[in-house]
Amino acid sequence: MATLIHAQALAVGYGRKSILPPVTFEVGEGEVWGIIGPNGSGKSTLLKSLLGLLRPVAGRLALGEGVKLGYVPQRTGLDLAVPARVVDVVRGGVDRGWSFLNPLYQKQHQPEVERAMKDTHVTALAHQQFSTLSEGQKQRVMIARALAGDPSLLVLDEPTSAMDAGAERVMFELLGELRSTRDLAILLVSHHLPVLGEFATHAIYVDRDKSFIESGDIQTVCACDPCVARYGNVLGGPKHG
Amino acid sequence: MDDLTLQLFFDSWELFKDPAVAAILLGGLLGMLGVYVVIKRMVFFSAALSQVAGLGVASSFWVKVVFGASWLTSPYLGAATTCLVAVGYIMTQRGQATANRDSALGLIFLLGSAGTLAVGTRIVQEVQDIESLLFGSAVAVLPEDFNMVVFTVVVLGVLHLWWHRGFVVVSVDADDADVRGLKATLLEWVLLLSLAAGISVSTRVLGALPTFAFSVLPAMGALKIAPNVPRAMSIATLLGATAGFGGYLAAFLYQLPVGASQTIVAAILVVICSGIGLVITKSKKINPSAQPAA
Repeated sequence: MATLIHAQALAVGYGRKSILPPVTFEVGEGEVWGIIGPNGSGKSTLLKSLLGLLRPVAGRLALGEGVKLGYVPQRTGLDLAVPARVVDVVRGGVDRGWSFLNPLYQKQHQPEVERAMKDTHVTALAHQQFSTLSEGQKQRVMIARALAGDPSLLVLDEPTSAMDAGAERVMFELLGELRSTRDLAILLVSHHLPVLGEFATHAIYVDRDKSFIESGDIQTVCACDPCVARYGNVLGGPKHG
Repeated sequence: MDDLTLQLFFDSWELFKDPAVAAILLGGLLGMLGVYVVIKRMVFFSAALSQVAGLGVASSFWVKVVFGASWLTSPYLGAATTCLVAVGYIMTQRGQATANRDSALGLIFLLGSAGTLAVGTRIVQEVQDIESLLFGSAVAVLPEDFNMVVFTVVVLGVLHLWWHRGFVVVSVDADDADVRGLKATLLEWVLLLSLAAGISVSTRVLGALPTFAFSVLPAMGALKIAPNVPRAMSIATLLGATAGFGGYLAAFLYQLPVGASQTIVAAILVVICSGIGLVITKSKKINPSAQPAA
């Protein structure tokens, strides 16, 4: 199985100040990783570092050869005052590197745009204004935008933060569907361990206040003491130290 | 005033042609560029840049008074230099909190305004130029200025038609652009420098007030009625050109200062667009099935 992200003794933070202990992990093809932890625990800092938006304080972070990232920001990521139809938002996800220099690039990649909209069930919304959609629809459109670039790893920042439990489950089912049909690996930040626990294969639990970070398979991470103390024994597995 | 008619305006077209066409071209260009200014929430950017470009122009007049004329005293060079310094300073704020960036823009705006007024007191023989610079009361455009306008509009127009996809991505979601390896820093530099170039030429030729107006108001109006950013740019170009010409014509007919007249026409266009935008929104609410099928 190919490695998509390799983090070796990775310390994240701002400037030279690390906010979490170093962590080592590898994200492989088809895996689903959840970054979990309390509010303000360093989840977004870790995510930004993995995306290359923040320079690591220490350690090594490498993407596998040819790995393309698709990023779905938090729901506040797009300004709703900027007019855009669904198809415009998704089409905007096609460009990479220097592709904006090629005037025909988006037209040449129209099939990817259509496939991304079909896979996320937003084709019927193509000509609607993005700002008029429900939260769930907006999130599906943002996922379609990330998929339009044909990524091998989809990274989502709190994709279900504005959803009720039902919509959250539907979202996770969609991600599961995309994972299998597109052979995608997924890495997401979430507060809601119960649903994530059913769905993820691996997790990273972070707690800045306790200076704690644990990574590994979902059962192991969910059974660590700080995670159990916060969420309870969600997966019902044996307790680890 | 009774003698000032449309007929007279067009009869005297040879006299008004250059300033009117310059206003159309710069209004259109800044209208299009203004869409980035508005969607990047950097309205203060164009205000600050038009003021700091004014300082550059005023400084070049002052250098001319003190040291005599040379290529170094070109008002375009003065405006470009101060704008470049300002853009460089703004780029150092990239990725920082919005409050920091706003403070930086405030500093540039105030330095530009105060500096222009201060330098203006040292060049009393050019006071007319300083006034036209600040309020856009110029009624004539020199041939070399007109050529500079055409050159700037062609170069920036081609650049923006070619690179617009990159500029839009860094304007609406800079983090996503970075993640996709879209050369976001380069795109942002080129975008801001092209805005600075358009604003500095327009400040020199039309004045700071209409320059600020053209780089904000047409975009505001267009974004209220356009379905997406590329179409907003087309509409803003049209609105900017209309405000440029309409303002010039209104200034002639009603004996108003040109810059103020152009600003008022641009503001009226925003009000009209807001009304159209409301009608579009209401009609969609009444008849949601009016959305075109995918």
